[in-house]
Order: sequence, then structure tokens, then C-alpha cells
Amino acid sequence: MLKYILKRLGLAVLILLGVSLIIYVLVRCMPVSFIEGKIAEMNQGGATIPEETVESMKKLYGLEDDSFVGILKGYVNWLGKLVQFDFGTSFKYGSPVIEVIRDHMGVSFAIAFVAVILEFLIAIPLGITAATHQYSARDYIVTILVMIGISLPAFFFGQVLKDLFANKIGLFPPSGMTDASQSYTGFALLLDYLKHMFIPVLTVVILSIGGRMRMTRTNMLEVMNSDYIRTARAKGLGEGKVVYKHAFRNTLIPLVTSLAGLLPSLFSGAIITEQVFDLPGIGNVAYKAMIVADIPFIMGYNMFLALLSVLGVLLADLMYAVVDPRVKLT
Amino acid sequence: MEENKNQSLETVAEETEVKAPQTPDEDEPLDKNVRLMSPTRMVMRRFFRSKLSVAGLVMIVALFLFCWLGPVVYTQWGETTQDKSGKVEYTQQPITMVVDGKEVTFYQVVETNKTINSLAKPDKNHILGTDKDGRDVFTRLMYGGRISLTVSFIAVFAITIFGVVLGGISGYFGGAVDGVIMRICDILMCLPGFPILLIIGTLLDSMGVPSQLRIYYLMAYLTLFSWPGTARLVRGQILSLREQEYMVAAEAMGYSTSRKIFKHLVPNVMPQLIVSMTLSLGSMILYEASLSYLNMGVRAPYAAWGTMINIVAEDQYILENFFNVWGPPGLCIILAVLGFNFVGDGLRDALDPKMRR
Repeated sequence: MLKYILKRLGLAVLILLGVSLIIYVLVRCMPVSFIEGKIAEMNQGGATIPEETVESMKKLYGLEDDSFVGILKGYVNWLGKLVQFDFGTSFKYGSPVIEVIRDHMGVSFAIAFVAVILEFLIAIPLGITAATHQYSARDYIVTILVMIGISLPAFFFGQVLKDLFANKIGLFPPSGMTDASQSYTGFALLLDYLKHMFIPVLTVVILSIGGRMRMTRTNMLEVMNSDYIRTARAKGLGEGKVVYKHAFRNTLIPLVTSLAGLLPSLFSGAIITEQVFDLPGIGNVAYKAMIVADIPFIMGYNMFLALLSVLGVLLADLMYAVVDPRVKLT
Repeated sequence: MEENKNQSLETVAEETEVKAPQTPDEDEPLDKNVRLMSPTRMVMRRFFRSKLSVAGLVMIVALFLFCWLGPVVYTQWGETTQDKSGKVEYTQQPITMVVDGKEVTFYQVVETNKTINSLAKPDKNHILGTDKDGRDVFTRLMYGGRISLTVSFIAVFAITIFGVVLGGISGYFGGAVDGVIMRICDILMCLPGFPILLIIGTLLDSMGVPSQLRIYYLMAYLTLFSWPGTARLVRGQILSLREQEYMVAAEAMGYSTSRKIFKHLVPNVMPQLIVSMTLSLGSMILYEASLSYLNMGVRAPYAAWGTMINIVAEDQYILENFFNVWGPPGLCIILAVLGFNFVGDGLRDALDPKMRR
């Protein structure tokens, strides 16, 4: 087990190196004049980016030299800083990249966390009923509904919900994280947060229920066709006991595995949802930085995402071996 | 009466004679009464038996007809033509004055003549009204669909070709080649997909790529980064297939390597490949629409479904009052993605040899 983990971690380092090289080369394909133009634009727009920050960043990334060797040198420089956990200072936000990510991760995490819990709570029972009533009207209705959910574009559905709940009914605020006109504290502040998070969470949950429900249904069907279920029925157990005690346990294996894989992605933020509702989450922050070619932030954020997805795959594989004793890791 | 009865008896006799089983013929082949169905027909039958997959197929065909034949039939407006017929707009402003010690509120109505007939309500001139710049929404819906569907199809086919070739090589040869290709797959699969496309969008900005070509560049990059999924699928299948007896036979016949891969192995992967292609068509449409929505893909004045919804991100007024501008493209996206998902699901069930319903 330990050997396996070490091997995988070594592979992860290799993967991250490859990912960083690709992103670095992509970013460096932008002409320097374009980046300078964007910085000047930001400065005109009221931001104050000290000249020396820009200069030191340029030096760090080797931005003066656009040749192949220059890009390579810049990459090696960047790697050197990375080892010291120094991602540099964001052009757009004016503070260290790590701090920007840390400060905005909370909002994204809160939304994703609540959404994942709701998703599992709703999708699993739906999947089980669909599987136990295969080919019935119930199965078809549930399947069609979740298929529609999968097919919804986040930006469109988000706007529809916003229009409906915020503008037409006026029950929830349309965007942002807090009510700027009020200064709540304590419990009232929490309530205000919850109110603002309602529509975004609803959007994310409806979009993601489908995948989870179909996964549950497929696994449940597979398990229900296995021999030990027939045995359980043959010895006269009630259907409820067969489904929820015997079958459901084995259905849980892939669900738990996927949950482990989901863990890191809780922190990565949803670019489109956060953009639609103008939430100060990591996805929205990254989107704004990416369209102005904020190189330090782009590099830092994307490496953060790559790290999360590498960890997700590793965690899922490990979890698989933990919950299913038949699986041996080699 | 007597005669009549006789007649009827005769007809019955005749009928029985016709219906009587023929004596077995020595020369007749035994399987004459057995209907043979080719695997393709069997798949077709199972596919068309499912109502959902037929519904999906109808949705997709309808959308295709709408997008490609629509502009040919409905030629009143073009993709980027503005309705210059003009329109009179009234705006009212409250003015509060103090008259004789009492506060009185007037409403001042200002009449403005605009040259462009913007944000028109649906009528017979504009079936779905016009957008902010006076372009016909209904027409743009058709042109936008052309872009979305074309781009998605090209991307999916390109991804499949890359995936089949690289996955096929990887699975067939194994060893070092396999190792290298699979490590590249690992790296590409860990690249954050959407952020990378945003970076590339900014990159295209910096290089000044014309706005109607941007989406093609973006989808080309998307192809470069998305083939590992298909490659893994093909590789996994080929790893198990190449151990089977018929491959030993192919080896014994002295077939060339490319013939073995592309004529004997790849066709056996086709069922899974077709299913994954159909399902990824749906996600490609979503990708394209999201990119266009974030103003990274197709940009106004050119139309794409995502671009047409983009307007509500900046303009709350349109979001609240003009569903006819941004609703229809969203419904089209849903219809297209749903259609492909239904068809893909139906195909998966129909192609699965374990499913015999």
C-alpha cells in the first residue's frame, strides 16, 4: 500500500511538471506588449500596480525575452520559485497569488459543499427507486427529468432561476454574497449569506443530480441482478430488506469512491455559476484575472486546479481499495 | 337452402386446402421459415423500440432542418442585418414641483425617434422580435445553430480520429510506446479544461484573431486536449480483444499490422465509440455555448446560441423584460443537448449485446 502511494505520488509530480510546462508555454505565447497594455488599462481603471512589482514579475517570468531560450529560462525560474511556495504577486489583485486563492476559496467551498450534500441526498433515493421500478412510469419520469437537468447550460439556467426567484417573485437577492446596504452581524449575517447562496446552490444541485442519479441506478441494477440478491429473496426476506440492506451496501462502493474523487474539486470553484451570480468565489476571481492576462495568477490558479485533480484521482483509487476488499492495489 | 349449404361447405373445403401445411420437400432448406436478422437490423429495431431515443432523434433532425433549411426559406432578414425601419420610443420621467405651496408630481413624456427598431416585441415582421441592435432573433437562432452544431461535429470527429489512432497504437503495441502515450494522456487529463480555454481565448485576443474564426481555433485546442478519454476507451478494448483467437488467426494469415488494427480491432470498438461520440456531442455543444456566453467564442454581430444569451450578463433590463431575446437560444441548446443524450443513451442500450428485450 505504502509503496503504491509513493509510486503514485512520484507519478503525480511528473504529471504536474507536464501540466505546468504546457500552461507556461501557452501563457508565454501572449506578446509582452499585450500584457503591458492590459496592465496600463488596469492602472487607468483605478488600480495601482507599482512599477517595481511589474518589473520584478517581468524579470521573474523572463518576460523581456520572447525567444525559445527566454521562455525556457523563465520556466526554470518559475519552477525555482515554486519550490519555495512563491507564486508571485497577482497583477490584477495586487497581493500574493496564494493569499488571493486562500481568501476567495471559502465562498466556493461553501457552495460546493452544500451542493454536494444535497446532490447525494436527492440523487441516491431517486436512483434506487428508478432501479427497483425499472421500465415503469416512475423510472421513465425520473430519467427524463434528470436528463433535462444534465442538458441544462449553467449560464442559461442560472439566469432563468435568477429572473424567476429574484426578479419575478423577489424572494431572494439576485447576485452578490451580502446585502451591501445593511451591516448585519452574527446570526443575521449568516441568514443573509444563506439567502444569497440559495439560487446558486439550487442551480448547481439541479445540474449535477443527473450524473449521480444515473450512476446509482446503473449500479443498483447491476447489484439487483446478482446471485446473492436472489438468495436473499429465496430465503424469504422482505423486499425492503433486500433492497436497502443487501443491495444498497454494494451500490455504495462506487458512490463512496466518487465522493473521494470529488473532495478536492470542492475547492476549485465554478467559473460560470459564480460569474452569473457575481459571487466573490475563486472561479469568478480567476475568470476576471484570466481575461486580463494576469500571468502570476493564471499560473498559480491552474497549478492549484491540476494539483486538486491529481489528488482527486489518487484519493478515489485509494478509497476504492478501502471500501472494496476485493480490490488489491499494485 | 340445400344448395346454399353445399356451397358454403365447398368454400370451407377450398380454404382448408389453401391453408393446409405443405408436405415437407426433400430439396427445401431447413431454415426457410427462420427469419434471419443482421446485427445492424437488430440494433436498429431495439433502438427504435425505445420512445426516448426516437424522441431524441426527432429533436436533432428538427434542429438540423431548422438551422440549415430555415435561412433558405425565411430570407426576410440576414444574420447581421439590422432592422432600420426605426421606432418611436417614449420615456417618462417624474418631475416634482412646488406649486402654490403644494407638492405636485408631473410626468414628462419624452418622445425619441430611433433609427434602429431595437428590442421589438414579437409580431409578424419579427417572429421572435429583435435584439438590442435590431437584429431578428428568429433568424439569428438559425445561423447560431449552424455554428454550434457544425463546430461540435467537427470537434467530436477530430477527437475520435485522434483517440482511435493513438489509443489503437498504444493498445496494440504496448511496452514503451504505450507508456509514453498513456503518460501524455495522464498529463492532458489533469489540465484544467475550461480555464485553459479561457487562457487560449485571451491568447487569441492578443493575437488579434478575427471574431468569426475564434471559435474554430478554440475548438481545435479543445480537440488537442480532449482525445485522451477516447484513447483510453479504445486502448482498453484493444488490450482485451488482441488476446482473442481470431487475432491469432489474423496473425497466422500474415496480415499487415495496420490491417490488423484498423480492420480487425477497431471495428469491434465501434459500438462503444459511437455511444461515446454521441454523448460527447452534447457536451461539446455545452462547451461551445459556455465559451460564447463568456464572450470568448463567437462574438457579436455574429450569432451563436451562447452569444445570444451573453447580453443578459450585462443588461438586467433585458433579463427582466425580454425573454423573447434570450430564452429561445437557451431552449435550443437544451433541445440539442437533450436530443444527443437521448440518442446516445438509446444507442448504448441497443448496442449492448447483453440487453435482450
